Amino acid sequence: MAIDADDKILQDFLVEAGEIVENLGSQLVELESRAGDFDLLNAVFRGFHTIKGGAGFLNLSPMVELCHHSEDVFNSLRQGKRTVDADLMDVVLQAVDVVNAMFQALRAGRDPAPVDKQLIERLESLAQPAQAPTQRSVASQPAANTDDLTDQEFEALLDALPAGVPAPAVETAKSGQSGEITDAEFEALLDALQGAPAEKTGAARMPAVKSVSGEIVNDPPSAPAAAPVAAENTVRVDTKRLDDIMNMVGELVLVRNRLVTLKAATDDEQMAAAVANIDVVTENLQVAVMKTRMQPIKKVFGRFPRVVRDLARGLGKEVVLELQGEETDLDKNLVEALADPLVHLVRNAVDHGIEGPEIRRAAGKPDAGRVLLAAAQEGDHIRLVIADDGGGMDPELLRRKAVEKGVLDPDAAARLGREDCYGLIFLPGFSTKSEITDVSGRGVGMDVVKTRISQLNGTIDIESEPGKGTRMIIRVPLTLAIMPTLMVMVGPQVFALPLTCVAEILHLDLKKLNNIDGQRVVMVRDRPLPLFYLRQWLNCDGSGEPWPDSGHVVIVTAGAQRVGFIVDSLIGQEEVVIKPLGALLQGTPGLAGATITGNGRMALILDVPGLMHAYGRSARQSEVA
Amino acid sequence: MAVRVLIVDDSGFFRRRIAEILSADPLLEVAGVAANGMEAIEQTEALRPDVITMDIEMPVLDGINAVRRIMADRPTPILMFSSLTHEGAKATLDALDAGAMDYLPKRLEDISQDREEARRRLCARVRALGLRSQAHHRGVIPDVREGRAAHTAGLRPIGNHRLVLIGASTGGPVALRQVLSQLPGNFPLPLLLVQHMPASFTPAFAQRLNDLCAITVREARDGDVLQPGNALLAPGGRQMLLEARRDGTVVRVRDSEASQHYHPSLDVTFGSAATVYPGKVLAVVLTGMGADGREGARQLKGSGSTVWAQDEASCAIYGMPMAVTEAGLADQVISLSDIGPALARRA
Repeated sequence: MAIDADDKILQDFLVEAGEIVENLGSQLVELESRAGDFDLLNAVFRGFHTIKGGAGFLNLSPMVELCHHSEDVFNSLRQGKRTVDADLMDVVLQAVDVVNAMFQALRAGRDPAPVDKQLIERLESLAQPAQAPTQRSVASQPAANTDDLTDQEFEALLDALPAGVPAPAVETAKSGQSGEITDAEFEALLDALQGAPAEKTGAARMPAVKSVSGEIVNDPPSAPAAAPVAAENTVRVDTKRLDDIMNMVGELVLVRNRLVTLKAATDDEQMAAAVANIDVVTENLQVAVMKTRMQPIKKVFGRFPRVVRDLARGLGKEVVLELQGEETDLDKNLVEALADPLVHLVRNAVDHGIEGPEIRRAAGKPDAGRVLLAAAQEGDHIRLVIADDGGGMDPELLRRKAVEKGVLDPDAAARLGREDCYGLIFLPGFSTKSEITDVSGRGVGMDVVKTRISQLNGTIDIESEPGKGTRMIIRVPLTLAIMPTLMVMVGPQVFALPLTCVAEILHLDLKKLNNIDGQRVVMVRDRPLPLFYLRQWLNCDGSGEPWPDSGHVVIVTAGAQRVGFIVDSLIGQEEVVIKPLGALLQGTPGLAGATITGNGRMALILDVPGLMHAYGRSARQSEVA
Repeated sequence: MAVRVLIVDDSGFFRRRIAEILSADPLLEVAGVAANGMEAIEQTEALRPDVITMDIEMPVLDGINAVRRIMADRPTPILMFSSLTHEGAKATLDALDAGAMDYLPKRLEDISQDREEARRRLCARVRALGLRSQAHHRGVIPDVREGRAAHTAGLRPIGNHRLVLIGASTGGPVALRQVLSQLPGNFPLPLLLVQHMPASFTPAFAQRLNDLCAITVREARDGDVLQPGNALLAPGGRQMLLEARRDGTVVRVRDSEASQHYHPSLDVTFGSAATVYPGKVLAVVLTGMGADGREGARQLKGSGSTVWAQDEASCAIYGMPMAVTEAGLADQVISLSDIGPALARRA
């Protein structure tokens, strides 16, 4: 059957089934911790059942087959014919992955590929009310192809096994008269000795992750009930159209700003009233349009139980993931843009943050590490927290690493404050874990995370305490299209600084500046702060005016860096609609875009990290020279 | 007046597809939709639909319990959508026991390879249930529970029969259960049952009948021998025939031929019985759509056997019995509740 990706019926199916699969991911992980939850089992069963129904309607045989067998597994489970264990979960999650891959294929207009026979067979065996098939296969493995192992050696291995690691395969092997064990069993033993996950031994050890969020638990059974009813009253709209509408609303906001400014200059009361009216309507419209683009962050959070589960299982750690504030709404584009950075940070928290169970035990912590992922609205911002109760970060270690990697010279490193040290992990090529795991980054990543967040006009802060854990705090604006800024004058030009970057504004006597290494520096609360004349950087000093004796300093932060920009005057705070730069200016370092101010003037929006990157070094060098 | 349908399914996708198919039929009108059993009960009260199409697996309240409650509070013909699996068979039979009238496979390909044909048949099934329901409202057909036994008087003795045949389609599972459960365990004749049903359903159905009835019921296997008090159910998707051999009569289970529209088919089984036991068969045609059984009944009558047809009032769908009756082939027209006792008395 040829697939027509534009087919409305297919699209309808993909939307509904896509949501179900998304839910399935978290429901399944949830199930591991509440294996006997009948409602949950039913919900998962129905999930597969519904996808199967739709796939059947569309004659997507491979998907029907796969969902059918998955459904059978859950039918056995809900009838109490067998229980959930980690191996079963691995297979079922694999099935979900395959279903997802099929969706991808369908979206791309391809027929879904036939399902791997092995997966079907594994599902089939799991649907049987028999004992775990893995155990059977290990037990029945012929003793051919063995590495000989003496009984003493074998006993020694057994003794070395850490207590509490269940090893049915070991029992099987031991009961054999020959004292020989198979390769597979030997591997399993070695794995157990090294503290690796015990899956090869066939032990049904419950894996580590569970999500303690109440919402996830309660939601699935009721959500499918509520959502489809609402669906009858909904219209699907291409996001491109929403983007266009948002753009036009942006233009309208600019005109409104202009009108409001003009109104102030006129005495016409009727005009004033009309403008006041349009002011209110525009604002409401802007909010309404923004709302249509809002999505709960759950869309991103939903994937984490699975991510953490797989990761923890792979690393042999125990991790409890706690989700908070999943209902927090934010702009669709933001939700998508945040997905990758969050995945990276959560993986980091599990991989680098949470220690192995032995280390945790030694430190007097519970075996299971805890990772918190929280979202909350804070005014016009969203605050995201990724926290772990792991080992925390050691500023000393970070300093040493930075020097070793040649990122900083020893003196500079020594001068760094504690917080600044944490900021080091955002530098390109900086990785603190000595051995590279295939789990989280290879030294790329954190700098990419930082860049991404900055592109969203967001900030990321780190709090950490050795031995206690690390908190990453991300703040991003609710929407990407409208940005609160600080308007400043530099020479004759108006510039807008994103408010997220602005830490503080000072009025300074510029004659009292220190000069260290050719760098203008001012002491702010006993800490040196490098100062730069924006005028110099932005070539606005053509007028040849003398440097003023006193001036406004805007302290901005970009990553771990904190610098002061000397500006000529401050205009004030203004919400601006970001317009992309024309082709000629596009890509100019340090410029994020342009906007039109209330009085009708063009203002360039500065991209602070970009600006510092582009000018910081060269400016310093030229000044030294 | 168009037949008003309430569509109950937890999948929005499926609701929309069913709605599309049904609304394409000018005689049908989608009155509303419900996403679970609870909503179905509310919507049934609020909309008073003529027919309900009902999914089985749903959150909040499943289809079977919804059927039970709807049939108790506001009886409405219900068409179940089920999957053709063993589990699906059990659930469907539960729904039929709970009072659902008919069922269709959820996968339209299972109704017919030809998608258009599948759609037509879905609409026809819904229409049939709905028209009956409307007729009820207008008082054309007396309700099963009130008007009964109008035709039961004066059943003739039925002589020395060797075999009882019972055939049914829509509404048949419930009707068959009622008839068979009224037969004593020492019923003196063998029975052959033909119920239009998919292959995956008949084993579960036979099992269920066996559990509920005093007589023994099981799915027929090729080579089975007829035994008194033993009922053999024709396997779904195939044909059940009788073959006379020198050492006795055996049951043959054969693959269906392309020309045979129904599998199993009443006509096929009836026809072979007419040849093997001329004049010695008592055949009963129960509720169902279409006219399967009429030609078989004609052969039976031709050989001197007896044919009974279920009466209109007690039929879920008065199709097959009507075909037999209107062709003048029915010796008796008989209400469902009287069939069992009549068989028990006269066999």
